Amino acid sequence: MKRNTSAAIGLAAVAAMALTACSGGGDDDSTGGGATEAAGPVTLTVSGWSLKTTPEFQTLADAFHAKDPNVTIELKEYDPAQYTTLITADLAAGTAPDIVTQKEVKNVSVFQTGGQLMDVSDVVSKLSKDVNGTSSYEIDGKYYGVPYRQDSWMLFYNKDLFDKAGVAYPDGSWTWDDYAQAARDLTTGLKAAGSDALGTYQHSWQSTLQGFASAQTPDADILSGDFEYFAPYYDRVLKLVADGAQVDQGTITTNTLTYQAQFGKQKAAMMPMGSWYVATLIAQAKSGDADTFSWGFAPAPQLDKSTTGTDKTPVTFGDPTAFAINANIDKDKVAAAKEFLAFAASEEAGQALAKIGITPATTTDAVAQTYFAVDGAPTDDLSKFAWTTHKTNPENPTSSKTAATQTILNDMHTAIMTGSTPVDQAIKDAQDRFKSEVGS
Amino acid sequence: MATVVTGDRIHAPGVAPRRSRPGRRLALRNTLIGWTFILPNFVGFALLTLVPVVTLFYMSFTSWNVFGTAPWVGLDNYTRLLSDKSFHTALLNTLYYAVVHIPVTLVASLALALWLNRKMRGVAFFRTVAFFPYITSIVAIAVVWNMLFSPKYGPINQFLGLLGVENGPGWTTSATWSMPAVLIVGTWREMGYYMLLFLAGLQTVPAELHEAARVDGAGPWQRFWNVTIPCLRPTTFFVTVMLTIGSFKVFDLILVMTNGGPGQSTLVLSQYIFQKGFGEFQFGYASAISVVLFLICILVTIFQFLWNKRREA
Amino acid sequence: MGVRIAGKTVGVVFLVVAAAAMLLPFFWMVVSSLKHNNDVFTIPVQWLPDPVVWHNYVEIWQRSDMTTWLRNTLLLAVVVTVLQVFTGSFAAYGFARMRFPGRDVLFLAYIGTMAVPWQSYMIPQFVLMSKIHLNDTLWAIVALQAFGAFGVFLMKQYFESVPESLNEAARIDGLSEYGIWRRIMMPLSVPAIASLTLLTFVNTWNDYLGPLIYLRSAQNWTIQLGLKTFISQYDAEYALIMTGSVLSVLPIAVIFMLGQRYFVEGIASTGVKG
Repeated sequence: MKRNTSAAIGLAAVAAMALTACSGGGDDDSTGGGATEAAGPVTLTVSGWSLKTTPEFQTLADAFHAKDPNVTIELKEYDPAQYTTLITADLAAGTAPDIVTQKEVKNVSVFQTGGQLMDVSDVVSKLSKDVNGTSSYEIDGKYYGVPYRQDSWMLFYNKDLFDKAGVAYPDGSWTWDDYAQAARDLTTGLKAAGSDALGTYQHSWQSTLQGFASAQTPDADILSGDFEYFAPYYDRVLKLVADGAQVDQGTITTNTLTYQAQFGKQKAAMMPMGSWYVATLIAQAKSGDADTFSWGFAPAPQLDKSTTGTDKTPVTFGDPTAFAINANIDKDKVAAAKEFLAFAASEEAGQALAKIGITPATTTDAVAQTYFAVDGAPTDDLSKFAWTTHKTNPENPTSSKTAATQTILNDMHTAIMTGSTPVDQAIKDAQDRFKSEVGS
Repeated sequence: MATVVTGDRIHAPGVAPRRSRPGRRLALRNTLIGWTFILPNFVGFALLTLVPVVTLFYMSFTSWNVFGTAPWVGLDNYTRLLSDKSFHTALLNTLYYAVVHIPVTLVASLALALWLNRKMRGVAFFRTVAFFPYITSIVAIAVVWNMLFSPKYGPINQFLGLLGVENGPGWTTSATWSMPAVLIVGTWREMGYYMLLFLAGLQTVPAELHEAARVDGAGPWQRFWNVTIPCLRPTTFFVTVMLTIGSFKVFDLILVMTNGGPGQSTLVLSQYIFQKGFGEFQFGYASAISVVLFLICILVTIFQFLWNKRREA
Repeated sequence: MGVRIAGKTVGVVFLVVAAAAMLLPFFWMVVSSLKHNNDVFTIPVQWLPDPVVWHNYVEIWQRSDMTTWLRNTLLLAVVVTVLQVFTGSFAAYGFARMRFPGRDVLFLAYIGTMAVPWQSYMIPQFVLMSKIHLNDTLWAIVALQAFGAFGVFLMKQYFESVPESLNEAARIDGLSEYGIWRRIMMPLSVPAIASLTLLTFVNTWNDYLGPLIYLRSAQNWTIQLGLKTFISQYDAEYALIMTGSVLSVLPIAVIFMLGQRYFVEGIASTGVKG
């Protein structure tokens, strides 16, 4: 028996070593000559998802190939919902693509600590100052990714429903209290006009509330373990639900409401949502999945008057999406890969992305013009202001503690929004969990 | 007697009786024959399942994060478990689910099997219908049951309202009622699956025994207790073990129905393992939780195994 | 007499209600697949599609690679089921009828692996498969599914309910252990083989995570993976999701309908007075 046990442990150890041995790219054909220039034609593999409906990858690949015919970009499609799991498995087995797209900021530090990402500080240092979101990929003064896309959250509103209710459009001067009052007025006005649409719709994700609270509250930091600053945001929303100005969380989850249908089918007059929804709404209005109505977007409502008005810079949140280079990439391909990263963040790439309704990392006026020239996009000045002028704080700080903290905050969110736990108690519970599970 | 080696019912590993020389040769021959039976399956099983699982045990003593090496940390992961409140919550929720789900599903599926194990009109249809929840897409199940459970608009609470229950339970939107809601759906979904296993088992009950009992004047209840139940014992053991393991590992149903919420009211071990592993990349710690889950299942199984043997004796 | 008829009627009504409760989610699946996407979730629930929309089916048939997926899935399900039934029942005989040292420990190891959640050893397994170059081949799924503990355990329990005296008689007649397995055990175990076949087939057919992790090239996709991938292109398109679900469930329902007749009492009349 004893011998068997030790044999088993031996076997396990061998297996463990075999499995965790640094699984580098099996085809490391570096000639050792230190050649960094891609001489002949190079093919780079890039991970992407939902290629048919997420045209950004193909757009960038084509634009880059047109610029440098020597390099061909081959896209590897992954399932969007299981992206992290699949990429993790591929990296562990050494079969991941040359360029690993960073879908979620919260995993960047994990990949970096695991030695999976190449230092691309030299690429970032040459980028123009207009590129947003680079700080999310900085760890200990070095950069491990280059953003090509930076969504931010705004307030979508349905002009037809505003007119019906007789409420004035947002003008960029709103605080959250103004927004809440408007939601109540809209609900009353719409009911009087014989419509059952509500003033606003806040989707069930934790982001729709916590993202704003963390971005707008001065000195707020989810990694501090102090979550008191969420309280006013929750109190306000719970009051809106109680007043019947927005659907309650329980109804959203039990009836699997989708935000696309709620706003697109005119069930609500306003909706805080990320800028990616612009392209979706335009496409759904064309396909008939959404009604045709007049809409626009305003800057996100603010915490107080200090950041409101079109002469100030409103604060909002959003996480960038970036390309990173697989540390085990073939050495001959490094130069081409860095070239691609630099290109993806450039204004030229931004133009190409804006054409298909994507919010790129570079939002200069020229890019904005392209973006708002898209057929079906709103044309009013406030929408343009909201899209070009904002301070976008990352929702997820780049840290190894982020994932665990967001789990705790998500539990807090569901407990509060379903009415299972009072706000103060839920915040206290979350803070206690943070202390014991994440530590400071 | 001991030299006549016949594989009777499975028996506890213990001290084998001393054997004479020919007996020993016979035992060796039996060992070889036994192994030839097991080998084809065992080769695939050992390489593809056993090795990774044993690796997992090793990893539970390390701070493995998938990438790079797995530094040995001894019992750190296990001592951390002792003070991890979320783990305690997940463990208690899992026990809650298992303690209710196992007996209820066992009884329900056996009743279904007994009832559909006869020649009657439409039996094929009803068997298929009973099996349907198991093959229906789990997303559809979650969506429809959530709709039925909807506190304000759901038919279940409206029906309760007719019965005079004011403000029916919040079901999946309430920390108190979310687990009962998941349990109802879990039982509803798996009943047909275990019914099928019981149906196969019921075929082994010899009709002659029932006849003999009837001749002796035994009523249907007595025949059930004295004929059906004893003959079904191997099947019941199988179903109980599968149910136990399935209940302790419950994951996908909870993921699509409540995602562990509201708060942590339906967080279960499998989900916690996933959170710690693929969510936070603490694969070493996640492995330790898996080992605990494994130990619970194995202990319960051994207990059932011994109890089963005692009943057989 | 009247009481009996009344009782029967109540029984039938109860049956119909119970059947409806079982089928409700499936019914909703079918209804949703015939709706426009943004009409799927409404308050209150619409239990009938209005208007009836067929284009989800048309879309999936026209724009997806259904034939390839069906072929792969069928191939996998058949190979896995054959291997599982054959090696599983073969090993089960060893566990149920042979005595040798270490047998029970080994069997416990079999059961033990079932008690470990797959997601916790998925990565080591993936790396292992990658090292033996099975990744992105259909063989990966065969290897993953065909040698599980489930089949061994199920068949072992069934074999144990076959009277020992049959084995004795066969041995006296000069049959070898292999002969006993082939000529006595297997024919007597038709219901168990039927349920193992059915359940293995269903599990292989419905498996999504396994194929998702291991099958990366589109020509290897199975029906679940293909449909889900095709559908996930369209963010949260529940009408399409349900169309896909209906299409993937129907073949199984048909197979079950055909397979369930092996559970008719009396098939295992052993001829031995127990």
